Amino acid sequence: MVHALEEIWRLLKPQGLLIDIHPVAEFSLIKIFQRGKVLFTIPKPETYWEDVFQAEGAIAQLVERGLFLVERVDEFDYLTYASSVGELRAHRELINAFDNTPKDEAMLSQEEELYSQVEAVLHEAGEGAEVAFHERGRIARIKPAS
Amino acid sequence: MQIREDPENNETRALLNLVDFSGADVLEIGCGDGRLTYRYAEEAAKVTAIDPFEASIIRAKQNLPVKLRDRVEFQCIAFEDFAPQNRPAIFDTVILSWAL
Repeated sequence: MVHALEEIWRLLKPQGLLIDIHPVAEFSLIKIFQRGKVLFTIPKPETYWEDVFQAEGAIAQLVERGLFLVERVDEFDYLTYASSVGELRAHRELINAFDNTPKDEAMLSQEEELYSQVEAVLHEAGEGAEVAFHERGRIARIKPAS
Repeated sequence: MQIREDPENNETRALLNLVDFSGADVLEIGCGDGRLTYRYAEEAAKVTAIDPFEASIIRAKQNLPVKLRDRVEFQCIAFEDFAPQNRPAIFDTVILSWAL
């Protein structure tokens, strides 16, 4: 990640801008909505959180070395809606294709349990209910410092 | 129903609060299926959007609106392969789009 940021610094014009958008670690929820109201919320642990910490560490390292200057950081809510748990799971698998972190039996079993629970609540809620994956996004405006 | 990602446009609003894309040469790293690219590309002079996953780039190219075809180029390539092929100081804005 440090090398990638060095390459980004090289490719940027001196007055250029790096925009870094990444998920906020330890904030992933599955929610069920019905007619605009939240019926159910459950945390959904993700294996890529360690990658988030490493990416933030890499940026901090380049700031410390004087290559970049963080001008502003904002956060926003990012929701992905689906009509079924299967649809949401398939989408998440596609999105997380980069994540090669192995999942052990316990993690897989917990994930299955969690999705079963969500499926049951969604089924019970009936018509008009939809499931969503709720993340927080962090967006930073970063300038090349020299 | 299809998957709906950020229908509230929170991400686009946050992005446009931080960047003026007018006339900019933009590199987007981790563009996926172009979901975010389409939302700012109209303002930019040129967008090079890259992602290592071929299926995503195929979808991005298929869904690219006609009006953006002359200014957006999708490439299926990892950044570590893309970077050495390019001269220094060529982009006004680089977006690291959920790319860890």
